[in-house]
Amino acid sequence: MTSVIETKNLCRFFGNDETRVNALQDVSISIEEGEFTAIIGPSGSGKTTLLHLIGGLDNPDSGIIELSDVNIADMTGTELSDFRRDHIGFIFQSYNLIPVLSAAENIEYIMLLQGVPARTRAEQVREMLHMVGLDDLGDRRPAQLSGGQQQRVAVARAMASKPDIILADEPTANLDSKTGISLLEVMRELNQTKNMTFIFSTHDEKIMDRATRLIHLHDGEIELDERKQA
Amino acid sequence: MLILKIAFRNILRQKRRSLLTGLSMTGGYILCAWSFSLVEGSYGNIIDMFTLDHTGHIQIHKDNYLRKPKIYKTINNRKALETILASNEQVSNFSPRVFSPALAYAGKKTSPVRVIGVDVEQEPTTSRLAQKVKTGEYFDANPDSDGYFKAMIGQGVADTLQLDIGDEIVLISQGADGSIANDIFIIGAVVGNRTSYDRLGVYLPLGAAQMFLSLGSDVHEYAIIVENKDDNEAVAAILQDEMPELVVSPWQKVEETFYRTMQADKQGNEFTLGIVIFIVFVGVLNTVLMSVLERTREFGVLRAIGSRPLEIIKMIFLETMLLAGISVGIGVVLSIPLITWFTYVGLLLPEPIDMSGIEFQYMKGEFSWYVFTTPMWLIFMFSAVVSIPPGLRAAHILPRDALGSH
Repeated sequence: MTSVIETKNLCRFFGNDETRVNALQDVSISIEEGEFTAIIGPSGSGKTTLLHLIGGLDNPDSGIIELSDVNIADMTGTELSDFRRDHIGFIFQSYNLIPVLSAAENIEYIMLLQGVPARTRAEQVREMLHMVGLDDLGDRRPAQLSGGQQQRVAVARAMASKPDIILADEPTANLDSKTGISLLEVMRELNQTKNMTFIFSTHDEKIMDRATRLIHLHDGEIELDERKQA
Repeated sequence: MLILKIAFRNILRQKRRSLLTGLSMTGGYILCAWSFSLVEGSYGNIIDMFTLDHTGHIQIHKDNYLRKPKIYKTINNRKALETILASNEQVSNFSPRVFSPALAYAGKKTSPVRVIGVDVEQEPTTSRLAQKVKTGEYFDANPDSDGYFKAMIGQGVADTLQLDIGDEIVLISQGADGSIANDIFIIGAVVGNRTSYDRLGVYLPLGAAQMFLSLGSDVHEYAIIVENKDDNEAVAAILQDEMPELVVSPWQKVEETFYRTMQADKQGNEFTLGIVIFIVFVGVLNTVLMSVLERTREFGVLRAIGSRPLEIIKMIFLETMLLAGISVGIGVVLSIPLITWFTYVGLLLPEPIDMSGIEFQYMKGEFSWYVFTTPMWLIFMFSAVVSIPPGLRAAHILPRDALGSH
């Protein structure tokens, strides 16, 4: 299998000398293409910090994050923005859709950033909406959608840029059990049909059950890294 | 298009706040446009007053006659000059003049006067001289049956020498050839009033004045009226190129003191309006900053999904400019009838203003491209400036921090 992203000896701490908290310590992982990975662990174990570092939302204090042999830890400003736009899809716990845009426009926006022509954008938006089962709801604003529907739009938005990897930070935490399962089924299907790579940070057992790999974090260190049959 | 949609919808997000901000910008625009209109209109009237009273839009002299007038500094190649003037499409009318100080006698009284020789036919096309006749009749170029030429005198001369229509006036001066010039003229009309520029003037027909001052066919000045008064400096420059041996001066040079005072006054007015606009835009800055602050998380998301810092700045810029555009649009619509009314009807003054014997009863504005576009650019410029600090703030939001904010 091909490695999509690789971290080597990743360290991140917060605070100053007196109040220093080691959020991540020497974390080295390699995420393979098509993996459905869940990073699990108690609160404060460093799950979100790891996702932020992999996604280029934060910079490590030391260590390497490599994507196609490029160390994203060295990137800054515009380079990092372009990296996130073209290589990473994000799904957030609280959906974080742009409230003034409709579902379709939220999906379209990232393609606009990529400079995709209008006609292609329109076709892909239709395809994405269909993929997440929201064919008829493209015109609705986020406030007119349920939590589950919003998170499906977020999944479609994350997919729209054709990223190398999708990072999902507690994507089911704000959803009821049924809606969470339904959303997971959508993501699992995308993973299986499109070979899309997903990394979750989660406490949700439903995700853990469906994950092909579980990375256990504790106090910023990898406690266990297990692969399992889906 | 999507970016424009986002900007527009973001404006509508906080309708009441956007409305208040927009209203303040619209108010600022209308105030500026109205003020510019009044200033331009008032100065336009004053400029018309003296350019059409005596200055003309352009004057032509020999050497520096304007600063140091001497009787011998004359324009002698008049035919060639008039051919140039007649062939210039921008020149609508011109009139030759001669000038000389003189001593006037009537009975036992004397008075210093200024002899002004004008072309009887051409002068009314260049100045309001014919309209300024208060008593008597506008003169003609020919002497009366007794061989005397008619003279038109200013109200000051008429009062000092106690002259009436038909009385004789004796003028004594120096001829251009050094001889003593003296002659008798018959009062044909009294022009202007005691405040007029020519209250101490004695107008003579050009031929009579040239004969009196031994000038031959020479003159001291050509006053020119151009088709478009705003182009007078450009026309003057063209004429200057065509007649390098003479000095062609736009009215801005002829009335340099007034022109500088007017410019200073306009700058003062612009400064005052600048302060008003500044106050308006402190409010606008506050609104945009508030909007950025409220949307910290959203900007964090936009940054997280790959928006470049410049794109965020662009978004804030566009929102501010869009609000400014809508406000200015409404401002233009509202100010058109207001400025039209001020331009064509005007504000009735409690007391009419008398300028050189011509009464102005209304304070009028000006309806011009300048009046509408200057405040427009001011508003857009200030909008662009105030959008920068919030834009920079939004662009440098760290996604990691913003995603944790509420």
